[in-house]
Formats: sequence, C-alpha cells, structure tokens
Amino acid sequence: MLRRTALLAAAGLAAAALALSACTASPTPDSTGGEPDPDASLTVGLVLEPDNLDIRRTSGAALEQALIDNVYEGLVTRAPDDGNAVEPKLASDWEVSDDGLTYTFTIEEGVTFHNGEPLTVDDVVTSLTEVKDDESLQGHGDLAGVASITAPDASTVQIVLTEPNIDFLFSLTGRAGLVFKAGDTTDMNSAENGTGPFTIADWTEGDSITLARFDEYWGEPAGVAEVVLQYIPDFTAGVNAALDGSVDVLTAVDATLAPQLDGTGFTLTTGTSTDKGTLAFNNTRAPLDDPRVREALRLAIDHDALIEAQGAAETLFGPIPPLDPGYEDLSDVAPYDPERARELLADAGQENLSLTLTIPSFYGTTVPTYLVSAFDDVGVELTVNSVEFPTWLQDVYTNKDYDLSFVLHVEARDFGNFANPDYYFNYDNPEVQDLYARALATTDEDESADLLRQAARIVSEEHAADWLYLGNTITAVGEGVNGFPVNSINVRLSLADVTVSRG
Amino acid sequence: MTRYALTRLALLLVGLVVASVLIFFTLRVLPGDVAQLIAGTQGSPEQVAAIRERLGLDRPLWQQYFDWIGGVLRGDLGTSLLNGRSVGAELAQKAQVTVPLGLMSLLIALVFAVPLGVLSAVRRRRGAGTAMSVGAQTLAAVPVVWAGMMLVIVFAVWLGWLPAQGFPRTGWSTPVLAIRSLLLPAITIGIVEGAMLLRFVRSATMQAIGQDYVRTAAAKGLTKNQALLRHGLPNVGLSIITVLGLQVAGIIVGAVVIEQLFTLPGIGRMLVADVGSRDLVKVQGELLVLTGFVLIIGFLVDLVHRVLDPRQREAA
Repeated sequence: MLRRTALLAAAGLAAAALALSACTASPTPDSTGGEPDPDASLTVGLVLEPDNLDIRRTSGAALEQALIDNVYEGLVTRAPDDGNAVEPKLASDWEVSDDGLTYTFTIEEGVTFHNGEPLTVDDVVTSLTEVKDDESLQGHGDLAGVASITAPDASTVQIVLTEPNIDFLFSLTGRAGLVFKAGDTTDMNSAENGTGPFTIADWTEGDSITLARFDEYWGEPAGVAEVVLQYIPDFTAGVNAALDGSVDVLTAVDATLAPQLDGTGFTLTTGTSTDKGTLAFNNTRAPLDDPRVREALRLAIDHDALIEAQGAAETLFGPIPPLDPGYEDLSDVAPYDPERARELLADAGQENLSLTLTIPSFYGTTVPTYLVSAFDDVGVELTVNSVEFPTWLQDVYTNKDYDLSFVLHVEARDFGNFANPDYYFNYDNPEVQDLYARALATTDEDESADLLRQAARIVSEEHAADWLYLGNTITAVGEGVNGFPVNSINVRLSLADVTVSRG
Repeated sequence: MTRYALTRLALLLVGLVVASVLIFFTLRVLPGDVAQLIAGTQGSPEQVAAIRERLGLDRPLWQQYFDWIGGVLRGDLGTSLLNGRSVGAELAQKAQVTVPLGLMSLLIALVFAVPLGVLSAVRRRRGAGTAMSVGAQTLAAVPVVWAGMMLVIVFAVWLGWLPAQGFPRTGWSTPVLAIRSLLLPAITIGIVEGAMLLRFVRSATMQAIGQDYVRTAAAKGLTKNQALLRHGLPNVGLSIITVLGLQVAGIIVGAVVIEQLFTLPGIGRMLVADVGSRDLVKVQGELLVLTGFVLIIGFLVDLVHRVLDPRQREAA
C-alpha cells in the first residue's frame, strides 16, 4: 500500500543532520493580524504531481492529496490533525449494528455536484456498487467483503458486510467511499464533477493545478477564492520559490534546506505521519530466510544515528505507527548491537555475506550510504541498486526479485501487508494472519487494537523487515496563512479551512 | 543545386524513419510498465493485464509501431497512455516555453561569443585575449546545473531581481512576466553554449588571420584588422552557421536540465516526467519531434552553406 507521492516525499527527508525538533507536531502559526481575505489566492508548493485526474482509475497519493476532500468527497473522511479520526462528510451520521455487519448512513441534504445536479442516495449506491463490482477501479479491494449496498429511503444508505470488519469505516475515508454522480459522462482524465468545496479551474500538466472555490458548496464555503497547487519536483527550487515569494506555503521541505527559511517570515511546522521507511527483507530468499541473518541486519543499524543523518524523522521498530491502532514501542526488539550482529552472522555461517539493496532512485543517497557503512561494520557487503520507480514496481513489487529493498509505505492502517503471504515481503506466518483476521473481525476497538499489537510484536520479533524511521512532514507556512493542515499532508491536504489575511 | 537539395531531403527522410524505429524499439527495452503504475501497488495481475489490454499494449510490437507511425504520417502523434490527452497538443503547449527559451539562449550565446571570440583572436598575444580564452575554456566546462544554481542564488535569492523558478500561469498573455521567468534559464544555457561557441569563433578567426587572402589584402594596403574584417570574417561566419546547427542539439539537452532546475513547464521537463511514468507513446512522440527538429536544422544549415559558399557550388 505504498504510494508514489510519498515515496518521493521521502526523498525530502533523506538528508544530512539538522537540529529540528522532529518529534512533536508544532501548531499551525497563529494569525499575524488582519481579517481573513475571502478573495485571496493561495499558492502551495508541492513535490509530486498526479499523472492525470482520474481518481477512480489511477493510483498515487498525489491524486488523493490534491482531490480528496477538496474536489471529491466520500461518505466519511479522516482528520489527520486529530489522530486520523473518522469524521462525517457526505454522511452526516452513521450507525453500526451490534453484530458489526450493517452500516446505516444518513446522507446530508442539499448537496450539489459541481454541475449543479443534486446528490441522491442513488448516486451513493451506484458509486460504491461500481467500485465493489469493477476490479479495475481503485479501492475495489476495500469493498471485497460487502454483501449489499442499498437505499431504504431517500436519505439513508445501508451497507451490509458478509463478516465484521473493524477497518471498514476507515477504508471508506479512502477512494472506495468517494461519491460520483450516477451516469456521469465527465471525462475524468482531465475534468471533474465532485461535490467538494473546490472545483478544478485549470490543470497545466507539468506545472500546476488551480482549484477555485465552489460557491454553491453545501457546507461551509472555502476560506480562500483560489488555491494554486504548484508542483516543484526539485527541493532546492522549492525553497527558492518560497524565498522569492512565488509560493505562500511549501510542503515537503527538505530537512537540510529548512534552515534557509529561518527568519524569512515562514513558520515551519513538523507533522507526524504514517510514513514507514521500510527496509524490506525478501523473507524466502536465502540467506534472508534465516531469522538470525535478518536479526543481525537489524542490530547492525543505529537507528538514532540514521535519523540524525536524515533530519526529520522518528524511530519506529515495528509495522504499526503511533497514529494507527495497535501501536506499541518495540525498540527493545532490535537495539543497536553490532557485536551481537556479528555473532549471529557467525552462527548462521554467513560471515562473508554480500547483499543487494534495490531502491527507487528518488530517495537520494542518505539511507543507502548509511546502510552500506553500517552493514560493512558487521561484515556484510551491501551493493546498492538504484532504479526508477517503474523498474522497482516490476522487479521488487511484482516479481519479488530482490534481497533488500527500501520504500516508504505511507498508507495508514496497512499492517495487512504482513498478513498477506503474497505481498512482496514474502512473509508468511499463519499466527500473524490469524491474529490480523481476528483483529478485523471483532467489533470491539480495544480488543482489535490488542490483537494487532500482538501480531505486530511477532512480526518485529521475527524480523520480517526493519523500520528505519517514521517520517515527519515539514511545511513552511507563510505569513498570514492560517489553518494549514500539519499531519500526513502527503496523503491528505484538506484546504477548505485555510485562510489568508494580508496586511 | 536542386539536385543537391533533393538528395539531402531524401537523406533527411531516411534519417527520420531510422530515428522513429530506433526510438520506438529502444524505449521498449526500458523495464517497468505504465499499466503497473496506473494500477499501483494495490493492483492485481489481472487488473494490470486488463489495463494493458485497454491501452493496446498487449498487441505485437511491430503492430504498435505501424499504428504509431501511420498516425504520425497523418499528423497525429497519438494520445497519452496516462491521461488521454493529445501528444501533439501537449507538445505545442510546452513548445511555448521551450522554443522561446532556446531562441533566447541562442541569442545570448551569439551576442557574447562572436564579438569576444573575434576580439580574443585578434588580441591573442595580449593578456586580455589569453584571459578571455582561459575564461571561455573554464565556462565551457561548467555544468549547466551548477551555473544555473549560481545565477539563482545571486539574481533571484540575493538580489531578488528575477524569479527563481516557474513560468507565469498567464503564459504569453503577460509577456513581461514570461520573459522575466525565462531570463535566468536562458542566460544559464546561453553562457555555457556561448563559451563553447567563443572558443570556436576564436580558433576560426585565428585560422582566417593566417590565410593567404587576408595576407594579400593586407599587402594591398589594408590594415591587418581591416583585412580580417572584410575578407576573413565572412568565412568565419559561414563556419559559425555550421556550429550553430550543431549547438541546437546542445541547447535542447540544456533545456531538459534547465527546465527541471527552474521548474519550467516545457518539453524537456515533460520528457523527463513521461520517461519516469513510462508514458511511452508520449515519449516517442516527443523524441521524434526533437530528433526531427535537429535533423531539419542540419538540413537547412547544409543548404545555407551551399548557397553562401561559392566554392561548394563550383565543386558540385
């Protein structure tokens, strides 16, 4: 469940040391005075641009970042700045039956699409049914356990599951839950017809997407008249754009470049995320099928030193980050211990080990350089194979032809990857799969989190992978800009509440 | 002359066909697949296969090639695999950035390289000439990226005179803004290309100084500089045209790099993005147009040379 944007955003984190308080989310700067200007235009610098606008058919976090909650809306949404809590959107309210099988949503009244047509329960039923039935639509997997989607009356939609799934509501905050006009013929490659607070006024490929406030929006209207999402793939160019005043906000600020923005009127915010910098081990390929070898590799890594080299990140020693249910501090499982690593390798008869790390090229050199030297210290020769992302998808993700791999898995609640023996980790543990299935099937949130915690501990203790760091997102917010989101903004960037006051 | 032009034209067409074959098939060697990218890491193999079929990527390569080249002959470069937009329209839009950028770079290169090149040749035994030559040598060796970064730091970040990146969303409807945003990138390419040109002008001029006809002219009473100006430089000019033809390719390569650095929505940046997302239909269209452009410039240079240089005409 990794997404391309975030992979790229990670490159922003990969960098040399920086004394930034990386561990806590700082609040969005307070108003510098002056009334918010409803006619303001806000320019936001972003790193990775979507390839097209068809959110139903194309993967990529860049699309979700730009469009979900801004242009398209789902039944429910999530609030990254509130611990990823599930919040109402097109459904004003919902009820879950005691057996956890029936979800009853009350649909908001007075919602209109951008073409002026009203939202009906039929649109909701059709949208969700299409995703459930058409496997080529994004989010199809999330609705796999749905038995029926119906509209008992003109304001109610009912979804019945075949078995309880505690993550179901959360999955509706993603693409699976987005609502489109039934029978719409809009060419979604280049146009849209959503219900969100913004319409797409312009898309200049390779440059920018311009969102314009939708004045007939059913909810609270957006705080600015226009938002220009300016795509600047080069981190240095991004900082330059901030310095010369061409952007009001710069997201994914490279930690090494951040000091350049000190004292310039920009306020830096550091947000948490669910971006897991994952060092994947090919669990079935010798000698990595030997847990001693995997453990040795983890013990050889001084995570604190790596994070210091990176600039903006926190440690993470297991598959579940603090924003997701089931998090537990697992730092005791793989503390830095190169001596023990050498012993384990000797035990395993792997004293002259050579391994290859396959890494998408946009991550830069900090992580691979660190790993080469850390592994060299325990007698493991690491070759770095830096490849383009499509090559990574083919070789590592699809063909599972790799020893070690590094990518940033950004998706929230994606522990299931370790309960899926077909995932590219090749990690197959029936006990973990059973715990995960039970965690989903229960209707008790605490019990579910507890089961996930147990499963995550096993995954970490078996060294199915290493988690090099948990990513932070640094955002430079210009003077007068208020309400800009802080957390997880590489996957969600809700802009309706942002205001700009000048003067 | 006509016969020469026709022969050259035939060669040009053969060149284009060969280029199209090379472009098409070498791109297919790239690992990775646009269908996989569209499906993402949630996509099942069946889903990827379905996308490949929808995009026509499952058909034999030769068939895809002839479909493509058939379209090109009808003036249709195809549509993007990723967003269904017309490749030709997209190229035309991006050309509004890249073509002016290239012309401005060329102009800047000429403006400083030609006079300085001649001057440094004429004064080659004095300190200034040597300094210019060494300076040009150094500048020509500078990577475009580095030169661009230095210019940005000085003129955009420190002095704040020019924008550091981007092209106005209003495009050429606000010409001043558009030109301002192209100035730094154009100077960057212009300096590096101009430095190479300067060295060439210098050596061509020095050669001209040593020619018999210049000496003869000088013997007839002209000063050395007058002789060079009247009889030597026209010949230098001819060879500059040839070199300029070659430099067009250099400027295109420079534009690819510079458009990244300055975040300019031009052909170079589009090309890099399309290679990265394996939108091969777009990439092959872009490469074919660029190759065609370079070949046509070469063709025109040859023709102009032919017209201007009496010796070549006689030889035919």
